[in-house]
Amino acid sequence: MAPRAYRRRVGERRDDHTRHFRRSADVDEESGAQLVTAADVRGSDPGDGRISTPSADRARVWSADAPTTSALPPLAPDHDAPIVPDWSEVVEHFREGLIVCDADGVVRHVSPVAERLVPEVVSGEVLAAAGVAALDGDGRFEFTHHGRRLRLRPVALSHARRCWYVEDVTESVSRADALLAERARSLFLAVVGEKLGNPLHPDRAAAAVARLAVPTTADVAVLVLAPRSGRARWWRAVRAEDEVPAVDSGVLPAAALPSAIETGLAGTEPHALDWLVEQAAEAGWLPGLDVTGATARVVPLPGRDDPVGVLLVARRAGRWYDEADLDLVRAFAARAGAALTTAMLYRDQAEVADTLQASLVPVEPAPASGVQWGTAYRPAQAGLRIGGDFYGSHRLPDGGSVFFLGDVSGKGVEAAVFTGQLRQCLHALHRVETQPGRLLKLLNDALLETTQAHGQGRFATMVLGVARPHRDGGLTLTLAGGGHLPPLVLRASGEVEVVPLSGMLIGVVPDPRIGEATVHLAPDETCLLYSDGVTEARGGWRGDEQFGADRLLTAVTGCHRMPAPALAERVEQVTGDWLAHGDHDDIAVLALRATGAAGRASRHLHAVPGPTSAEPTRELPE
Amino acid sequence: MTATTTAADPAHAFAGYLECLAEADEQGAVAVARGLLEAGAPAERVLLDLVAPAQAEVGERWARNEWSVAQEHAATHISERVVAAVAAYADPRVTRGRIVMACMDGEWHALPARLVAEVLRLRGWQVVFLGASVPAAHLVSYLHRYDADAVALACALPMRLPHAHRMIEACRRSDVPVVVGGRGFGADGRWARVLGVAWAPDAPAAADLVADDRALRATPPARLDHLADDEYASLVKRRGELIDSALADLRERVPAVVDYTPAQLDSTVGDLGYIVDFLAAALYVDDGTLFAEFVEWLVEILVSRGVPAGAIGLTLDHYGQQLRDFPRAAGFLERGRAVVGGRVAATAGR
Repeated sequence: MAPRAYRRRVGERRDDHTRHFRRSADVDEESGAQLVTAADVRGSDPGDGRISTPSADRARVWSADAPTTSALPPLAPDHDAPIVPDWSEVVEHFREGLIVCDADGVVRHVSPVAERLVPEVVSGEVLAAAGVAALDGDGRFEFTHHGRRLRLRPVALSHARRCWYVEDVTESVSRADALLAERARSLFLAVVGEKLGNPLHPDRAAAAVARLAVPTTADVAVLVLAPRSGRARWWRAVRAEDEVPAVDSGVLPAAALPSAIETGLAGTEPHALDWLVEQAAEAGWLPGLDVTGATARVVPLPGRDDPVGVLLVARRAGRWYDEADLDLVRAFAARAGAALTTAMLYRDQAEVADTLQASLVPVEPAPASGVQWGTAYRPAQAGLRIGGDFYGSHRLPDGGSVFFLGDVSGKGVEAAVFTGQLRQCLHALHRVETQPGRLLKLLNDALLETTQAHGQGRFATMVLGVARPHRDGGLTLTLAGGGHLPPLVLRASGEVEVVPLSGMLIGVVPDPRIGEATVHLAPDETCLLYSDGVTEARGGWRGDEQFGADRLLTAVTGCHRMPAPALAERVEQVTGDWLAHGDHDDIAVLALRATGAAGRASRHLHAVPGPTSAEPTRELPE
Repeated sequence: MTATTTAADPAHAFAGYLECLAEADEQGAVAVARGLLEAGAPAERVLLDLVAPAQAEVGERWARNEWSVAQEHAATHISERVVAAVAAYADPRVTRGRIVMACMDGEWHALPARLVAEVLRLRGWQVVFLGASVPAAHLVSYLHRYDADAVALACALPMRLPHAHRMIEACRRSDVPVVVGGRGFGADGRWARVLGVAWAPDAPAAADLVADDRALRATPPARLDHLADDEYASLVKRRGELIDSALADLRERVPAVVDYTPAQLDSTVGDLGYIVDFLAAALYVDDGTLFAEFVEWLVEILVSRGVPAGAIGLTLDHYGQQLRDFPRAAGFLERGRAVVGGRVAATAGR
């Protein structure tokens, strides 16, 4: 029955200066609504003016000798508008409470709302006597009073009088706070999702989890990974003012882990929280954190099966973990657990892939006397280090070298696996046959047999040769071609020759026609083998033009004095420039240069003595 | 008394070393460096005061058309061997974390990056040098597999800045801090600031920076709001079409172009492409000085190879007409045109 109580209070309050103008018949007792009739208004005091707001118009009315009963004009002329409310009454229904003081600071009016919010303020007494500090200021002010959040808005009135509007903003503030907190939580989780959503190295992921937990969820956060072989690795982030939190890490024997961590690793949040802070401090995880009054929680990080680890969050005294905080920590833990699981899975698979790739990457040619090797290799798939091109060399017992460069059908992993088989074959076969033409035929038969057995039609093109040192310091190359692009020879004169070498694909038909040629390299002359990834590179300014053999010839012309590695790199470079980030086939280059006097090429390997031999020359005193 | 004698002063060995590079004499060059080391010169000084300035001189000689590309290549290769020899001689012990060093994809000038890598190594870092022209995917998969305390990225040409930015972002997504260096970011690193990435002017500064994890992470955000006008993206899209029309325009206005050999035509098309690429990079970082500096450099290169500066002016004019609707690009081209104009006037006055 609030309306009745309200009405009574209103009546009580107003008895000092005005009559009670409402008739009981005007109040609908059922609904509580107050009906105002024209009679009420006519018979009532138009208002005492204490609730007016200052304005130019009104200032005149408020002249020194003006009657204090005519502050406000009627809302409508009396005679033809029957429904004109009384100002005091209107004001009493404001959400804001009103306190009006006269020039001496004596309270002249307190609206019911103000009375309820600030009961200390009593009409007729000096405002300062109420003892409410917030009322002393003259600016807008928000303060907490009797458990409510109040907003004060003082306004100067004419005649040095003042009015305070008091609003109870408890609900809207708490709603705004809740909204802000919720927004902060979503933002935090969004940042976490963004940071942890990318595949990371497991150590990076662990450090990122600890770092992200601070400061939103903790002053100190410790991530402990599930122990592996009896040892548990941990990462810790400590809140630093205005800075990115510092992260450090360490290892603990699994047996030394605090019991709460073990409980967490078993997949449950420990319920006994009393000793958590002490346990964490004992493990040395809470440096610089005042343990008295600090709170800590342990949350498991879900993994594929058992938790991948646990997160310990700790806060200084003064901030507890309420249910909303804990929900946030758990939501964070779920994301962190997923990121760590992914990172570890990725790492394990990358390790396997890496090991397999390593066996399929072309092996650098074995050093051989009188030969300087140069190579370049660029697989089609940049993320992959392997492809369908291959090269290599093996030393022969007679001082020569067998070398090869080729290209298998297809791209990517399958092609790379085939190049592995092919290189293995060559590795074995060169021990029984060193004549290039016959060696290629043997290889052809072996490949034919395997591809038929596996039912997959894989084939290769390749150039295979044997380099033998010549008396004059040069090299004699015996070359065999299996359908591959013809090698180039850079003569000391600057001339570039194309070696006429044809032949059929390897691994397609029995007894293929093999092209054969013999080339003599004088000292400082170079033979260049390359795959079709070079000449068929599509690029140029339209992006679809083939690089072509002519451009390759132009690119290597004038390069006859280059060391073999520089030449190979140059071919890779001009091809790369032509492609300009476009897609490409596998690219492989093998250059071999006759270095003249036998052994000169390898001399640089010994040209730099170790620190010991240089010691005697470093004897100058400081 | 100091330990430094003439025999240990890289400056005194400079001329002899350059001679070895000119002669493609690998053993000789290594011997010069070794002589300095044995006389007591610190390895870092040999790298920074001998190899680095010599390489800069090699670049100058190429720019002046005194050396062919092949000579430059051979000299660079020899410098690489010298760096390897110096590193092997110093044989530093690993006392700190791992740094991964890479050059931009398409970036073949690996020697400066290699020198920085060796200086870091001399200071105790475990440096993994991935080499020239590292595809972003390769770098990222390396980081996933092996982790690193920081990635150092080198960029020699400003035209690769958009690409560099993508690479930086890729590393950041792996949560590895990035430090960049190289002339590509501007002599004062101003384009690194635009991209919001830590920048080191030289090898010692890079060494200090990678040791300071907080400085690496406390980088200001990228300032790339200007990309909203879409000029960069549209220009990249129109690259082929612009080169086509510029070539047609040159054929019409410079009769000699009609008789160009295929190789000459290729290098002309290459230059037309560079102009578009540098313009695009200037749009990317919103800095007209990037394009103006490039035009200045291009004019010098081409004039030393017998191409009149006016021909470049024609192409800039042509691009300017084609890009009338691109206010920023048109402004940059205008500035480039002024550079060419200044050069033509200077030549005429001589």
